[in-house]
Amino acid sequence: MSFLNFLKEKVSYLVSIIFLQITIAIFLMPYNVNKVIIMYIIFVPIIITMLMFFLEYNKKKNFYNSVDSKLSELNEKYLLSEVIDVPSFLEAEKLEEYISELGISMIENVNKYKFSQNEYKEYIEMWIHEIKIPISVVKLIIENNRNEVTKSIEEEIDKIENFIEQALYYARSSNVEKDYSIKKVSLKDMVNISIKRNKNVLIQSDININVHDLDNIVYTDSKWIIFIINQIIQNCIKYSKDINRQIEIYSKELKQRVELYIIDNGIGIDISDLPRVFDKGFTGKNGRIISKKSTGIGLYLCKKLCDKLGIDIEITSKINENTCVTLKFPKGTHLSL
Amino acid sequence: MSKILIVEDDKKLREELGIFLKKNGYEIEILEKFEDTINDILKIKADLILLDINLPNLDGEYICKELRKVSNVPVIIITSRESEIDEIISLNYGADQYVTKPFNIHILLAKIASLLRRTKDLSYVQDKIDCKKFILNTSQSKIEKDDVQIELTKNELKILHFLVLNRGRIVSRDKIMNYLWDSESFVDENTLSVNIKRLRDKMEEINLKSLIETKRGQGYILK
Repeated sequence: MSFLNFLKEKVSYLVSIIFLQITIAIFLMPYNVNKVIIMYIIFVPIIITMLMFFLEYNKKKNFYNSVDSKLSELNEKYLLSEVIDVPSFLEAEKLEEYISELGISMIENVNKYKFSQNEYKEYIEMWIHEIKIPISVVKLIIENNRNEVTKSIEEEIDKIENFIEQALYYARSSNVEKDYSIKKVSLKDMVNISIKRNKNVLIQSDININVHDLDNIVYTDSKWIIFIINQIIQNCIKYSKDINRQIEIYSKELKQRVELYIIDNGIGIDISDLPRVFDKGFTGKNGRIISKKSTGIGLYLCKKLCDKLGIDIEITSKINENTCVTLKFPKGTHLSL
Repeated sequence: MSKILIVEDDKKLREELGIFLKKNGYEIEILEKFEDTINDILKIKADLILLDINLPNLDGEYICKELRKVSNVPVIIITSRESEIDEIISLNYGADQYVTKPFNIHILLAKIASLLRRTKDLSYVQDKIDCKKFILNTSQSKIEKDDVQIELTKNELKILHFLVLNRGRIVSRDKIMNYLWDSESFVDENTLSVNIKRLRDKMEEINLKSLIETKRGQGYILK
């Protein structure tokens, strides 16, 4: 808001004052009034009006400037009415009333959604606890009745378990902050647990596992990392070729970080799809053409969790040759979380 | 035979768990009612208790705490809660182990075995197993017969150890595979065949070749 713009708005008022003063001056002309007095009558009211305009402009400008700066400092803009000063002119007082009411209604609305989202999340977590019981029962029944049929059921149950795990981590991923604990953990332990979790399908698919050089220690949350490695291994299985399947896992210690590599010799990812593999719901050519029932959630979750844990995740691939997922763990105990 | 008490409110789960543990050579008691849970548990005098956390009327953690006031019986908590806080609370109340559902049944079995071993006889560490015709030295990874010693690789030792543990029973390739993977040797079919062949060759050196027999379509048996 510049003074000129402000004046433009007041132009009708200004014009009428000038018109009025000139009219008075014209009426006074025939009475032989001193010219100085006529000038006085014309200009003094105009100057006084301008002065008043300027004072008003100043007041408004100060107020709006302070609103501007507070607005830019605020993260949640709808809380504006909580922080602005009480304005000293009438229209702004009214405006402030409106804003504060808008703010209140906005906060109520936001809270309503926060609440319902939280309720949903709690429901999902509870549901996941509940469903673990029938799954445990089914697994025990399978264990007690080992044959070809139950073996095949076991594989499907493993898949169900993986989907459930994904749902749990998805529900939690929006506020990882409350849910993790950083500890000193061995990469080898985490990789071994992830492989063991996929034991049945890995053995069944006759995939050669080549795990070596995994003696590095990292500082992170083991549960999240196991979940991430788990997702990657499942992708390796899903997108494997028909023969000579192999998964190689190893780690390397660099100056600034420890890198974990998970490499398969599967169908690979098209170069045009690579930049988008972490996007939510992205399934790419492999998902569409080869129809491997991609959900576009696995890698999205991996990336989201990695971001929260301060880990870089990268994928490189050569179509029909290999895919390499790299997890880059920062070194040392101080993480920028 | 060790007596294991299952305290779990899901009927099917406790029954199937009971069947499984019976198959693996344990005596089983199952708690059916949860009205006077703590006294019922104490009456049974089990060697080990598998305790669910979410029980009707009482909380498993509370039961654990009360049990500890009068008894030292080993307790394994079985739960579907997997947060670390729950684990810490349970362990603080005196539980010995904490297993989350859906559990890997073989890991549960191993935990039961190791807890029982520790509480029943502290000095019991078996690193030399007498298999009549030879001695399997698990700590040095060797077969010993008379004065001859033959070194085994990690996988060969695991396979032979598993066969020894199941001596006289047919062991399917599947089971061996599962055992190897559970102990973190991720071998494929070919490697398993190679390992078994090498193991046989080594046993042949001390004239024990026929000891591992192949049952076509079923697996192997150690006589």
